[in-house]
Amino acid sequence: MAKVYTGRDGALQLAGSTVAKVVNFSFQSDLETLETTTLSDNIRSYAPGVVGYSGSASLLYYKEDSGSINTTDVLSKLIKAGTAGVSSTDTVELTFRWIDGTDNNDIKMTAYVTSASMGAATAELVRAEISFIGTGALSTATI
Amino acid sequence: MSYPSYTPTSRSFDPGDYPAKAYRSQSGVEVRILYGNKRTGLKLSLTYSNITDAAAQAFVTHYDEMKGTFNVFFINTGTKNGWEGSASSIDVPSGNAWRYEKAPQLNQVRPGISAVTVDLIGVL
Repeated sequence: MAKVYTGRDGALQLAGSTVAKVVNFSFQSDLETLETTTLSDNIRSYAPGVVGYSGSASLLYYKEDSGSINTTDVLSKLIKAGTAGVSSTDTVELTFRWIDGTDNNDIKMTAYVTSASMGAATAELVRAEISFIGTGALSTATI
Repeated sequence: MSYPSYTPTSRSFDPGDYPAKAYRSQSGVEVRILYGNKRTGLKLSLTYSNITDAAAQAFVTHYDEMKGTFNVFFINTGTKNGWEGSASSIDVPSGNAWRYEKAPQLNQVRPGISAVTVDLIGVL
């Protein structure tokens, strides 16, 4: 059956579990192009280069009844105490999902959190703005 | 093996000069003596961006076959493609030939794709 997807059909998963209170997310794929135009050409030509993946998400900062915070597992990859910084194990398994009943369209990737910002403002909900960049190949791409 | 016949992505040409020497007297009079009738010291800098590794290898192979910067050779029409003036005006004059000024610089940018920069000098 034909379907137009809306924001209600979107879900962001972290390590297979749906992240609560996601306001929005976006996913982007970029292809680096290598120009192969030579001096005798009038039209530009290219060879495909490296593909990369990145994205961002905005989450409400939300405390569960259990006391856990919905953003902890993501933010803790970048915002941490100590001098060790970010290591190669500080990746997150993200799944971007568009849902149609039991039919899911997924993009799943391993990513580093490259930026995270939070704040507080009068008469506004507190949000965590997160950006990430994929490392390695997508493990699922049923788009 | 002749010089690889690929069209460069950029080309820079220096036409060189005739061998001459200038002498300036204390009065400021300058005397110039021409020591030859052939232009020499031409320079041709060629860049081949994003070519296949096989094409890049051809430049290294040719450099080796020319015994590096030792032997001279001629370039072919492919090297001058895109130039709409007289092809001979960006080549060595009669009696000259090209040799490598230095080793080709090979820069690999991704699997199977490389860039090569070649610097040639025209010599008698």
